[in-house]
Amino acid sequence: MINVIDLGLINYSKALEIQMDLLKKRIEGEISDTLLLAEHDPVVTLGRVEEEGDITDRSFFNDGNIPFISTGRGGGVTYHAPGQLIMYPIISLQETKKDVVSYINFLEKTISKGFATLGISVTGGNKKRGVWAGDKKIAFIGIAVKKWITYHGVSININNDTEAFLNMNPCGEKDISVTSAREYAGKSFDMAGAKEAFSKQFIEDFQSEYREACLEKCC
Amino acid sequence: MLLSLKEFSTEIKEGTITLWHAHENDRISEGEDLVEISADKATFDVSSPCSGKLKKIFKKEGVQIQTSDIIAEIEEDRS
Repeated sequence: MINVIDLGLINYSKALEIQMDLLKKRIEGEISDTLLLAEHDPVVTLGRVEEEGDITDRSFFNDGNIPFISTGRGGGVTYHAPGQLIMYPIISLQETKKDVVSYINFLEKTISKGFATLGISVTGGNKKRGVWAGDKKIAFIGIAVKKWITYHGVSININNDTEAFLNMNPCGEKDISVTSAREYAGKSFDMAGAKEAFSKQFIEDFQSEYREACLEKCC
Repeated sequence: MLLSLKEFSTEIKEGTITLWHAHENDRISEGEDLVEISADKATFDVSSPCSGKLKKIFKKEGVQIQTSDIIAEIEEDRS
């Protein structure tokens, strides 16, 4: 069973505190698998391995009083803002596939299926990481794993503006374009509906790919 | 005991050492976080497989490693 908690619109640092607290509790077995949903106030987050120059125009962010926060996740620089759906799965890979690459592949697949429920055809699991609508990136992945419990996760562009991405090399990738579901489909989406669609898809796919596989293998 | 990346993902071919949680000659316990590695959109902490002394670090922070590279040697406690 996966417990879903919607943090609503929340400051990145506060959400990170909550994540770290839940991570500790999950490691100690005090809580079950948990999926955090959120939207963040505008913020630039930096992954553990950052290349000099991946933020190509700092003044854009400084002028907007948008903070930069270094994180312990994988992946490169990215941007969060209201209208972007954040999913932080705090789940155990201990019992089944102790493999971080498989987990990232799984995230790409389940997010792609989530977009399909919104009527948007995307691709994930190609040579380029993340989820793509045509040749534009629409969802980003950056995770961390401790004691085989996952944290950090996925950011999914639903209704957010993507202009900020023009001032960075998102995920350290030069010359890529970024889009959102709103830009791509030419219409806005209900955020509550998007949260429901992506979280439901995640839970269904996780049960099928990880937990039922465990039952077959372990019992 | 010689430590490599192999046990953490059968699919990871290379990664970067991003943080050593312990120094050479530190005493470490089985299951304690030993080193953080970044690879393929993920960072993950590698736990020590045994208790003993971290005898030698072969790969420093910032160094890129391949799956089969030996990154450290642990002198195991004698039981």
